[in-house]
Formats: sequence, structure tokens, C-alpha cells
Amino acid sequence: MKILVIEDNIELLKDIKEYLEREGNVCEIAKDYQSALSKINDFQYDLLVIDITLPDGSGLDIIREVKQENIDVGIIVISAKNALDDKINGLELGADDYLTKPFYLPELNARIKALYRRKIYNGSNDIIFNEIKIIPEKRLVLVNEQALTLTQKEYDIINFFIANKNRLLTKEAIAEHIWGDHIENSDSFNFIYTHLANLRKKISDFGGQDYIKSIYRVGYKFSDQE
Amino acid sequence: MKLLEKTSKYYFIFLSLFSLLTIIIFYYSIQFMVYDDIDEKLKHESERINYSFQEQGKLPSSNYIVDIISIKDNLPYTNVFKDTLIYEMYEKDLIPYRNYEFHTPIGKERYKITLRNILLDSDDLIRGLFVTTALILLLMLTGLFFLNQKISKHLWNPFFKNLTKLRSYDITKKNKVCFETSDVNEFKELNNVVSSLITQIELDFQNLKEFNENVSHEMQTPLAVMRNKMELLLESKNLDEREIEMVQATYRETTKLSKIGRSLALISKIENQEFNQNQNLNIKEIVEDVLNNFEEMIAFKKNDLKTTLIDKILILDPILANILFTNLIKNAIQHNKEEGFIFLCLDNEKFVIENSGDVLSEEPEKLFKRFHKNKYSSESMGLGLAINRKICELYGFTLEYKHHEGIHRFVLFFSEL
Repeated sequence: MKILVIEDNIELLKDIKEYLEREGNVCEIAKDYQSALSKINDFQYDLLVIDITLPDGSGLDIIREVKQENIDVGIIVISAKNALDDKINGLELGADDYLTKPFYLPELNARIKALYRRKIYNGSNDIIFNEIKIIPEKRLVLVNEQALTLTQKEYDIINFFIANKNRLLTKEAIAEHIWGDHIENSDSFNFIYTHLANLRKKISDFGGQDYIKSIYRVGYKFSDQE
Repeated sequence: MKLLEKTSKYYFIFLSLFSLLTIIIFYYSIQFMVYDDIDEKLKHESERINYSFQEQGKLPSSNYIVDIISIKDNLPYTNVFKDTLIYEMYEKDLIPYRNYEFHTPIGKERYKITLRNILLDSDDLIRGLFVTTALILLLMLTGLFFLNQKISKHLWNPFFKNLTKLRSYDITKKNKVCFETSDVNEFKELNNVVSSLITQIELDFQNLKEFNENVSHEMQTPLAVMRNKMELLLESKNLDEREIEMVQATYRETTKLSKIGRSLALISKIENQEFNQNQNLNIKEIVEDVLNNFEEMIAFKKNDLKTTLIDKILILDPILANILFTNLIKNAIQHNKEEGFIFLCLDNEKFVIENSGDVLSEEPEKLFKRFHKNKYSSESMGLGLAINRKICELYGFTLEYKHHEGIHRFVLFFSEL
């Protein structure tokens, strides 16, 4: 997937680029409005990640431009500035998704993958990880072709894990993915722990391997590597 | 008291005092004129009598003469005016008269002749004056009252219109206030002052908003960077346990900081009334949605959930409604104990949420303060209830908290108490 990230903070740009490239994407960056526009005009991208506040213009104008030129590209808005208005404006203009800063990189990654699937396959392609298969449009998880009975949150967790396979997922990132901003950490951490135990059991019941690895104190990693 | 009533009151006081003064002045000036007139008349009569004596040697007929006395001695006499009261049988009252005594020689004899004319009764005079003045006063007051009403209707019209406009003015909405123009200088000045005040307030409001947004923005991006870098650091395999713990702690605090920033930004947004997408919402559906989101959490804590909900429609902003009920329900779950209970009840007047928990030793009022924490959950930022209070202020709701031996009860009244 070819992604253009438009963001004025160099460090954040570097982090996003690094994260997305490790996921096997081609990631280009633009630091301002002008360079973003010229890149969009010169190259073909699958997806744009746009920060609203840019030094020489508004990310919303980029969305307008893209929609005017009828460029077929997925758009995810990232912003912290007046989140409410931007959210409405961005989505009204035709952005596909919205993330409020500071977001977790795994969250951005999961959103990008979900959006890409929606765009390219109309959401109908399955996500496969060894013996585990996720059918997103049915919200179904199969292990060795047998359907797991999962709660909604368990489904969210495994989906999030597989979208970010082989990456560290901190407890905070998982908690925010499941509940959004609303939950305080201590409760949710215990809850995640129990949920993962249930999930492990359900997967192994159908002969799946235990891919959920605890990372000392920090979080978890879904991985088939050592 | 209305301006009209107030001015009328002052007019009345002023006119009353003024009338009293007029009565006094009139009284004395009329009295003076009457005396002057009568004295003149009597003097004139005396001169006519003297003349008649000297030219014709006889007393002319006169209605004024009351007494003629011959004087025997040679003492010098002066002519005098005198007031006197005489009892009149036909009136059965004392009547004031003016006497004029003058001396005149008739032949070789000298006579003292007294002329008399009736005076105005001072009681009558005062009464008459009083009645006339009171009548004038009354006429003036009624006139002034109607004039005032007319004035207030016409002259004050732009003022009252502007007042209505100001009352409906909402700083969060971007519509400008257009004042009614008036040719009254004071109103013009008032309009100018209020206009510039509004411009100043709007500017301040805008600045404050921008400041909040900027703080939130400028803070969140570095926080995002910090957090990402720490995640990368945590992912690297070269850290020992102690180092992981340190990075982990920093990571946790960064998350906290970011949440605080978001919550404070939310509070100021509520205060600035930026949430105004009000619409009809079924509270029952919102509560059920929130419960659905926390369903597994409740099960995980083995809490016993009982609900009695009815359909209740309120006009609220959906985002704020969601925050309000999420905070209340989340609170009941987080401060609950294992195998405790949660009881929810929604009726037409109120939403009640009750949960088991630890016995609190603090003042309930403190719970609503920003950054209040209790010792049982140090993770909690204590901003949730402060946010709820702000939302309640916005919609005129009342949020009450009570606890009794480990049972905590929040009651949200959909009205002001």
C-alpha cells in the first residue's frame, strides 16, 4: 500500500513512517500544504493521512482539492485542534476516518488496514494469520475453519492484534482501542488480562497456537516469531 | 421599579413641593395686591371726601363711611390703616375689614372719619388657591404621565428592542448583533459602547478558544511523539527490567497527561457552549448503549446489574449526553467491589444510579471538584464528575450524591431543584 502522510511535526512524521513501513507499506511524507499538494498531483497514492493544522494551509483544503480533482484515495484525518469541528468538517468533506491526537500508532495502523480493505475489496476479503481467519463483514473469527464464539470486545481485541501482528501493543493502546477515552487504566488492564486468557483458551480449544505473548509489564504481542 | 414609574415619582414629589411654594407665594402676593388695591381705594375716597368738604362744605354720600367723630383736642393725628374683625349677624361669623381713619377739618372743627371696606377672607383665599393649584398639579401629572408613556413608547423603543436583542445574544453563535439606530445621543453612545464591548468580548472569547485549542494541539502532538518513542523503546529488546519499569512509568504518565489535556479541553468546550447540536434523544437508548459497551466489564467484576428504564426523551447534544451517562455508569463500575451490585432507574424526572463500594470518609461535595481523588483509586483523574457537573449546569440538571454505609447513590434530576 502506498501512503502519503501529511504532518508538520517531523518527529511524529518519522514515527508514523517508520511504523507503517515496517508493516510493509510504501510511505511518503509531506511537511506542509504545498509539498503535499504537489505530491498528490504527481503520484498515485492509496491512502492519505492528513493533519488538519499545517504551517501554510489547512488539511481540510487538501481534502477539498482531492475531492474536486476526483482522485480516488482513502483519507484519514489526524488532528488535535478543535477536534469536534474538525471531525464534522473533515467527514463532511469526504474524509473516511478520523483520529484524535495523540493516537497510538497501532490504532492508526489498524484504521488504515480497515479502510484499505473497505476501499479495495469492499470489506469482503478475509484476514488470514496462519490457522486463524477473520471475516470482517461477518465479524467472525475461524480457527482451522471452525468459528469461535467471541464476545464483541474479544473480537475487537483479536482484530486489533492481527492488524498489528508482531508489534508491541501496550495495555494503554489496547484499552483505548476497546473503550475509547472513557476508561481508567487499572480496571481495564485486569479486564484485558482476563479477556486475553479467555481468547487464548478459545483459540487453543480449536487447535490454534498461542500467539499472544506477554511482554513484561508493558503489554502484549501477537506473534508467531520467537 | 420601572424608569417611567421612577421618573413619575420624582415629578410628583417635585411638583408637590413646587405647588406648596406656589400656594405660599400666591397667597402673599394676592394678599399684598388686595391690600394695595383697597388701601388705594380708601385713600382715594378720603381725598374725595376732603375735596368735597373744602369745595362744597358738605359731606358727600359715601358707602365707605362708618364713623365721623369730632375731635376736641389739638393733638397731631396721623392717618392709619387698620385691620379689624367684625361679627356679622347675617353671616354669623367674624368678617375681616380694612379701616382707614383720617382726620379732616370741617370749618373750624376737626373730625376723625373712618372709612371701611370688606377684605377677602384669608381662609377662603387659601382654600381657593389650594384647590386651583391642586387641580393644575393633577392636570400636569396626568399630562406628564401620558407624555412619559408616549416618550417611552417612541423614544425608548430602540432601547427596548436592543435589550431584547442583547438578551438573545449568544457568544457561541457567530451572528452579529445589529442595533436599532436612534437619533438620541445617549442611546447612540450606549449602542457604541455595547457594540465595542461585544467586539471586545468576542475577541477575548475567540482568543480564549484559540488558546485552548492551541494548548490542546501543541500539547497533544509532543505527547504523541513522546509516547511513540517510548513504545519503540519498549519494543527494543535491550532494556533490563529496571529500565523497562522506568520507561513504562513515563509512558503511563504521558497517557495520563494526554487524558488530562483532553478532559480540560472538554470542560472548557462545555463552558464555551460549543456543544449545541441539541436534538431529541431517548435517554433509555443512550443508557442501554453505554451499558452494552461496559457489559463485559460488569460481568468481569461479577457485578449484579438491575435496571428499570422507561423511554424518556430529552433535548440534548448527543456527544454530551453520551459523556454524561458514560461517566456515571463507568463511575459505578470502577468504584464498585467484586460481586457488588449496580442499580439503575430512569423515570420521567430523574436517573438514579446506585452501586456498592467502599465506605467513603470524605465530603460528597469534594467529589465534584476538579482533580479530586480518593485513596481507593489513585488512577482516577477526578475530572469525570467535574465534567458531569458542567454538563448539568449547561442543561439545568441537578446532580446529587449520597452515600450510606458503602452504598453510593447518584441522582440526576432533569430539572433544577
